[in-house]
Amino acid sequence: MDKLQTGIKNLDHILDGGIPVYSLNIVSGSPGSGKTIFVQNIIFNTARNGLKSLYLTTISESQFKMVRHLQEFEFFSDDFLGDKVVYEDLGTVLRKQGADKGLEYLTQMIKKHLPDIVIIDSFKAIRDFFSDEKAFKAFVFDLAAALSIWEVTVFLVGEYKEQELTLLGEFAVADGIFHLYGQEEKRFQKRYLRILKMRGANFEQGEHLFQISHMGIEVYPRMRPEGEKLQYEVRSVRKGFGITRLDEMLCGGLTEGTITLISGGTGTGKTALALKFLLEGAEKGEKGLFLSFEEPAAQLQVVARHLGWEIDRYLAEGRLDIKFISPIELDVDKHAFEILDMVREKNVERFVIDSISSFESSVSDIQKYKDYLWAIGQQLKRRHITTIFTALNEEPFSPIVVTKAQISLMTDNIIILRYVEDGSNIKKVLGILKARGSNHDKALREYEIAPDGINILGKLDRADMLR
Amino acid sequence: MCELIENQIERYETMLREMWTESAKYLGTFSVNLLVERVVWELSQEYKEIELLQYGQDGITCAGLAAGLNKNPDLPVDDMFVKFIIRYLEILARLLGHEKTEKIAKRLNEEFGRIPFDSKEE
Repeated sequence: MDKLQTGIKNLDHILDGGIPVYSLNIVSGSPGSGKTIFVQNIIFNTARNGLKSLYLTTISESQFKMVRHLQEFEFFSDDFLGDKVVYEDLGTVLRKQGADKGLEYLTQMIKKHLPDIVIIDSFKAIRDFFSDEKAFKAFVFDLAAALSIWEVTVFLVGEYKEQELTLLGEFAVADGIFHLYGQEEKRFQKRYLRILKMRGANFEQGEHLFQISHMGIEVYPRMRPEGEKLQYEVRSVRKGFGITRLDEMLCGGLTEGTITLISGGTGTGKTALALKFLLEGAEKGEKGLFLSFEEPAAQLQVVARHLGWEIDRYLAEGRLDIKFISPIELDVDKHAFEILDMVREKNVERFVIDSISSFESSVSDIQKYKDYLWAIGQQLKRRHITTIFTALNEEPFSPIVVTKAQISLMTDNIIILRYVEDGSNIKKVLGILKARGSNHDKALREYEIAPDGINILGKLDRADMLR
Repeated sequence: MCELIENQIERYETMLREMWTESAKYLGTFSVNLLVERVVWELSQEYKEIELLQYGQDGITCAGLAAGLNKNPDLPVDDMFVKFIIRYLEILARLLGHEKTEKIAKRLNEEFGRIPFDSKEE
């Protein structure tokens, strides 16, 4: 089936290529949910591909206001007006000549302009011109039939509430339904889009975040773990940290394509250890990406320099990238998708998220957080990217709690960093709790972070140091 | 109007009825009439006489058109009807799919001879 490519970022991906041509679609949502911008963005994008749209307004928004508002968007171009984008007023005909003449006028307009796309905004307002539901329903059926004959893809825009979507007659004839709505989350006001129906096409179900900016609409597809069993090739290649004794504890390093959780209390060196893993990769020519939710790139550079690591050279040569997202700005719906985009684009082989605890705190729904992390984890494993997630253990003297959200279950390897008391001193120890499919050193070893880097010291042989 | 033209129109009327009936099985009479209306409108830019074609819930008839031909006996009837049928089938192919339209075209060809239509040519 031929598809109409909307050109909206990631929307065609969700729609498996686009909206089936000649389909009748309803774009619903409350006032201010972004319906009009959604369809305007589509018609200006398609105008760039040579398609013509006929935009019929009813009584929703004055033409003057709408065009003035649209000029703020990059997708808008005056060059298309009157040629590829034609605005006509259906409302006046309906008001002055009655609903019966509406269909006739619509057909006349189609004959006059021969559009590829027809939009009626607001379609719900047309209801007011009909005395009863039965008459309106008959009109909707006639309209749907008439429009389909002219080989046009239709968007009917309306201020429908969610509960109306299953009740009103127009939804029965619709081939596709896009529902736009907003939701308040902890720190952000968010906009979501759901595709409730799309006849003759596969589409990704569920709630997809979208944003409206001067660029128009950008959709961030919902991330969720895939239902089918994760199948991926297990490789025997080892990826080391370049810390001799730690690599020995791991029998050569982390297995390629696995996910490792480094859990530890504040100040135990999780960030430094994860960064060292990427620097070692860079030294071997493997591209690394450090995604930091805690420290800006400049601060990480200072830490690395202090430890005698050649971070500047690797950054300059493009073997290492540091991406900092402020925890205040972190929006997991948006960034989870962007993270995978970055990993794909940069052909990353080693990847660090520092820390998933910041990721967790940005999501109000813990299940959603788990779903996102599982989805990211699956994608990374499929791509054989060796990954480290760092997690803050809020009880630095206790190794028991690895993460609150049981994320340890999805990881292949777990390294814990913790403090121990030795008389009046506090020492740091490192242990490997788990190394899936691989042998590993079971001992807890003391370590130090010194100007020459991270050094693994001897075994912790006094149990009374542990509590 | 000479007998030859009368026979020609009669043949095309049978063909149009067949086409109308076959497509109504898929689309229903309401949509088929809308489609006929569109093709009539498009072809009327070239042959104004096609507007005399009568169609409705009961089907399609060329009676009005035949009567109108008395005023214009030189009208290239064959060209007008063939263009009508091809245009109709072309749109139908895009709306309904090539496979089903080919079936209708095949049936028309079996009964009335070759209709130069290939839905995949577009």
